[in-house]
Amino acid sequence: MLDFLARNRVATLLVVLVLTYVAIGAAAPGYLSGATASVVVSNSLVLMLISLGTMIVILTRNIDVSSGSVLGLSAAVLGLSLDAGVSLPLAIAFCLLTGAAAGAFNGLMVAYLGIPSIVATLGTLGLYRGIMLVLTGGRWIEDLPQNLKALAGNLGFGFSALTVVVLVLMVLVWLGLRKTHFGRYFYAVGDNREAAHHLGVPVKRVQFTAFIVTGICAALAGLVFAAQIGFIPNQAGNGIELKAIAVNVLGGVSLLGGTGSVAGVAAAVIFITSIDSALVFLKIPAYWNDFIAGAILLSVLLLDGRIRQIVDRRIRARRYAVHERSPAPSAETTKTQAVEAGR
Amino acid sequence: MKKLIFRWETALLAMLVVELAVFGFINPRFLNLTNLIYGTSDFVQIGIVALPLTLVIISGGIDVSFASVIGLAAIVFGVATFYGLPLPLSIAFALVSGALCGLVNATVIHLSKIQPLVVTLGSLYLFKGTATVASGLVGAGGYEGIGNFPESFNAFGYAEFLGLPAPLALFLVLALLLIVLLHFTRFGRAVFLSGQSESAARFAGIPVGRVQTITYVVTGVSAAIAGLVMSAYFGSARVDLGSATLLPAVTAAVLGGASIYGGQGSILGTLIATFVIGYLQQGLQAAGVPSQVSSALSGGLLVVAVALRHGSAMLADFIAVARQQKQNRAAVTSGGE
Repeated sequence: MLDFLARNRVATLLVVLVLTYVAIGAAAPGYLSGATASVVVSNSLVLMLISLGTMIVILTRNIDVSSGSVLGLSAAVLGLSLDAGVSLPLAIAFCLLTGAAAGAFNGLMVAYLGIPSIVATLGTLGLYRGIMLVLTGGRWIEDLPQNLKALAGNLGFGFSALTVVVLVLMVLVWLGLRKTHFGRYFYAVGDNREAAHHLGVPVKRVQFTAFIVTGICAALAGLVFAAQIGFIPNQAGNGIELKAIAVNVLGGVSLLGGTGSVAGVAAAVIFITSIDSALVFLKIPAYWNDFIAGAILLSVLLLDGRIRQIVDRRIRARRYAVHERSPAPSAETTKTQAVEAGR
Repeated sequence: MKKLIFRWETALLAMLVVELAVFGFINPRFLNLTNLIYGTSDFVQIGIVALPLTLVIISGGIDVSFASVIGLAAIVFGVATFYGLPLPLSIAFALVSGALCGLVNATVIHLSKIQPLVVTLGSLYLFKGTATVASGLVGAGGYEGIGNFPESFNAFGYAEFLGLPAPLALFLVLALLLIVLLHFTRFGRAVFLSGQSESAARFAGIPVGRVQTITYVVTGVSAAIAGLVMSAYFGSARVDLGSATLLPAVTAAVLGGASIYGGQGSILGTLIATFVIGYLQQGLQAAGVPSQVSSALSGGLLVVAVALRHGSAMLADFIAVARQQKQNRAAVTSGGE
């Protein structure tokens, strides 16, 4: 049972999610409806994109805490170019390019200059936010054109064009990580960098790519943010990087690299977003949000760590048991070797 | 002598002098001694948390939750005075709450064996949430501040001590205490060894868990002190009091020479780095640079400083290897003759 819980994070999360839904549904009967589901899905898009990007970097045993600022910066580029009269597709291209460039700078520092990723991205967290503020002059970007906001419009079943894009991206990332050579490299690099290097994996290029992908994901999140909210405040995306890391941990992505799946992250994002919307539904004052989110996260971490320790101990015990059963042959060989050496 | 010149602290001091000279050149009024000394009250709280943070980083951990502990301790103090508790008791409550926060961090890290960064990220939310709830319960509602402190408390923010503003004096005293603790006691050696190799430290009989717990508790208490100093300075306690110290404090510790992998760092370095960062922000303001640009530049400073340190270390390695190869080649050719 413990093994199952420790190994199948997605299943555990789904069980907890269902239990939570049942509990909330019992407390507030109106909660379990299609309307809530569509709200949860559309609210989760930004976090989903940032978390997906962060996952790819964490897989390679790095971390990226600058994605919230990349979100803000690329959203600002999008808004400013739209205000300057650039057409929507071109503005979106600028936005994604900004994200890619920001990610490339992070990747350059981490992969090729060897700066610890937490330090490098903490620096760019401030740097990118500053660049954004310089670009906007500290003002909010309002009056975004209707065709941008239309992207967040409902196409039916509570799905918007953005939801479809995010779903497609999730499938692409999943396929890329599972089915392609280069995708497996991300896991290899995170699991054991030296071994991956000796096997001929281009370790530096893999890390560099991971940061670029994260940057693009954050830029997409900026696009979604701008389309959904309809304006771009200075603080856009502030603090979401921490939430994304929390989501990754909850979704079973190991911060030591090499472990994690798209499904786990997706389940964790839905879980966190559902909790947020449930608080509104249960009429709990908004100032409880952080407290509850933090308490849930810490309890999950504690539980997760304990379970993993117990599983580790069992595996080790099993390994020792194997050795105890067969000590004879090894003693035999050392004896013959010693005899031969004596001759 | 050579050892003294090539220390990182010396480089930092040079950086500070160059920085002051450049800003003094741009705006001569910036180099006014009274201004420089009293300006520290605006950034001294960064140093108050960065110093113990250095301890945590050296011992192989990291703590990002201090940013919320600052707000939480301030709110605890505010709530206590709101209910009319005497001043010393309220201050004691705030300090104890800070220590408890550190204890929670250390306990969760030890029980779960999960990376400290993740655990303290979680408690960053939890403590901020606790503070928001506490301020909401006394009706300060969400993000409004709690004010109306006793006059004697507010006076501390502007008091003088030996000719120095009280917050700065407090910071220097704390630095002195931590320098003694880290560099001249057995506990300090244990902190370094725990960060260099946890298993080696454990085999040497050092209680690694207890050492690390103490570093987290010290950080919690110092964050509480920072919260009190800031509430006295601003005259009100707010939940988000410490959110602006997160990045600069980590920057100060790293710029001061603490290795993020543990086992390296110095209090003196962090002390100087605090002034470098603080005066950078103020100097840019005095030079008429908008505050947005200065925040970008302090982020850039962290990147450049770390890149420089790594770059110089890599260069030194490269030169050493090249020299070794040259010698080897020379030895081979002379041996062949």
